[in-house]
Amino acid sequence: MGALDGLKIADFSWVGAGPRATKDLADNGATVIKIESRKRLDLGRMSPPFAGNPKDVDGSAFFAQTNTSKKSVTINLSDPRGIEIARRLVAWADVVVENFGAGFMERIGLGYQALKEIKPNIILASVSVAGRTGPMAGFRGYGNSAAAHSGHAWLTGEAGSPPQMPPLAYGDVVAPMFLTVAILAALEHRAQTGEGQHIDVSQIEPMVHVIADLYAQDEVEKTGNDDGDFILHGVFPARGEDQWIAIVIENDRQAEALKRELGIASLDREAISTATSAQDKFSLFDRLAAAGVPAGPVLDGKNVLENPELAAAGHFVKLDHPVMGASNMPAPPYVLHGTPGKVERAPCLGEHNREVFIDMLGLDANHIETLIAEGSLA
Amino acid sequence: MSMLAGLRVLEIADGMTDVGGRMLAELGADVAVVLPETQANRTRRLAWHHGKTIISPDDPDAIRALAAKADVVLDGQREGDRFGLGEAVSDDTIYIRVSPFSTNGPYAGRPATDLTLFALSGLMHVTGDPKRLPLKFPGQQAYALTGIHAATAALLGLQARRRTGKGQKADLSAFQSAVLSNYREALMYEWTGRTGRRHGNLLVRGKSGVRQVWPCKDGYVTWSMIDNPSMMRAVVSVLEEKGAAGELSQIDWDNTLVADTPQETIERWQAILADFFASHSREELGAWSLKTGWGLSVIYSPQDVRGSEHLKARGLFVEVVDEETGVTASVPGPLFHSAVMDAPRRTLSRPVPASGFAGWEG
Repeated sequence: MGALDGLKIADFSWVGAGPRATKDLADNGATVIKIESRKRLDLGRMSPPFAGNPKDVDGSAFFAQTNTSKKSVTINLSDPRGIEIARRLVAWADVVVENFGAGFMERIGLGYQALKEIKPNIILASVSVAGRTGPMAGFRGYGNSAAAHSGHAWLTGEAGSPPQMPPLAYGDVVAPMFLTVAILAALEHRAQTGEGQHIDVSQIEPMVHVIADLYAQDEVEKTGNDDGDFILHGVFPARGEDQWIAIVIENDRQAEALKRELGIASLDREAISTATSAQDKFSLFDRLAAAGVPAGPVLDGKNVLENPELAAAGHFVKLDHPVMGASNMPAPPYVLHGTPGKVERAPCLGEHNREVFIDMLGLDANHIETLIAEGSLA
Repeated sequence: MSMLAGLRVLEIADGMTDVGGRMLAELGADVAVVLPETQANRTRRLAWHHGKTIISPDDPDAIRALAAKADVVLDGQREGDRFGLGEAVSDDTIYIRVSPFSTNGPYAGRPATDLTLFALSGLMHVTGDPKRLPLKFPGQQAYALTGIHAATAALLGLQARRRTGKGQKADLSAFQSAVLSNYREALMYEWTGRTGRRHGNLLVRGKSGVRQVWPCKDGYVTWSMIDNPSMMRAVVSVLEEKGAAGELSQIDWDNTLVADTPQETIERWQAILADFFASHSREELGAWSLKTGWGLSVIYSPQDVRGSEHLKARGLFVEVVDEETGVTASVPGPLFHSAVMDAPRRTLSRPVPASGFAGWEG
């Protein structure tokens, strides 16, 4: 049993910012119908890495890990007969999720007012780079735009250094987490009042929120890996090429333990570096942890995939996929012991057309076959 | 009204739940928070704990009594349960126990902070210059990610309780929260056998690398020459208008794969763009991007972010008052836009002794 069993989501979102939120909901039991189209492929299906042929729309591992536990249908949203089927899905759904450019949902007749006419208590959850209102409402960007507009890029790195972009679209990570919280809060509000609503999540604003502690300062400065709240807060070399370990000292007890373990007389950074550079990062992590000193080896992708703690916690779930074969998919970082949910493989494109349109919505099978054959459901 | 009006949340804070408690408070929940014995600096406290009722733990029994009355307990104690909350919560309570690692795995019980968790996430290894130290992201991102998941887990528990009538316990790992945000590195290793490296501000895809950060007349912008033909045509058309396109005019972008283009060719193309960007201001470049869809963004300093007309129009920053000192600060307020939200309290409250807290009577 999942926490969201019985919840119904019509998911028009694509690439990263919307789909990561609906993955959260699907992994926890919601029925998420992902509305896609062969005419306008989810760019996530064309994103590397691939299992085999990059042109196989079902072979992207990026797509697979972002869309676990969902069902996929194909609807051509430029065809009025496709829109009519989309409206049937809206009537079925509790929540509609979208991350199209500004005005797209209105142009196809699925703006919030139209959705409310179909279902008065519908929750529409929208996510975009800059939000749906304000001077930048129509801004076309990508996940790293939010890093630029929020101060993240400017604030990363040592004092005086040029801006540093994050190594991935961090806005495409943080904004969908806010979207998930927003949808769950809106469901709670609907349970109390009977009212739906339109939620408008901007990618920039969550990125500002997660550095609110820096914005609370009068003058915000770049500090690299340092943090003035701690006695020691840094990254030090370990044995081997490009091997590192982070060490933090919060109190005198930890300071004494670190000096003892490293055989040094003071917390001088050069002395620490000299001592750590001769040691394996994992062995040192074990020793410092046993001595009560917070430390963390800087892991690379291989280290993460093979990490014993993550394996024991079930962080990656091995799932069989018809194109990719057995593949590791990330599970939620929490376990709800009463309603634990279940991660299932991502869908192939249009895999659930008949199940959703005929069995779930109860539409006429011959009509659906005609619409599939004529490209309205493609 | 607010979305979570009437929801009682007890938070035992020590970094990992701070953002989660703050989100629930912003959404209208009545959040009572116990701060750690060694408290963070005042600005950090103001950012994460305004809008909550700060409870000083003068009486552990009183804290346990609050836990029994709470709808949600966010327990973020990093060094064990100093109040015995596990036994105090009722069957109706959604008890989210947040730990640095899993409760039974090989790292269970190890000490951790935001930085050590971020190092373990796999993100630090690929952030920064290849010849220098790996870098963290600004602020405390491992804690922030964990906090958001704590709020998510609490709200999931609330949805389940509406259906089952029962509360439940949940365990949340901060390590897993940080790793989950890293959607690239483990995946790339699994499918390509390659481990990522730091590339500074170079975006490496396929056989080539393209720049992400460009100096302009009065600062920096971010933009990359990626395989998006309509975007490339939009950029080149403005360069042509200004007589600065050079050989970029001759390229058939529909049939050019930048990722497979030799690096020296990319460098030649980028030199044309670098000259163009360097001779125009952030405002000019940003306006072209907004108008014609370049996907370029101005890199804002914190001062620029605070002064952004867009964010002002969206009402992002709010004034918060520290009740004890009278000091005010401007920090982000609303989490998103919704027509049904009332503004919560914008104060960092004076601590109230747990033994004298009457807010949850009745």
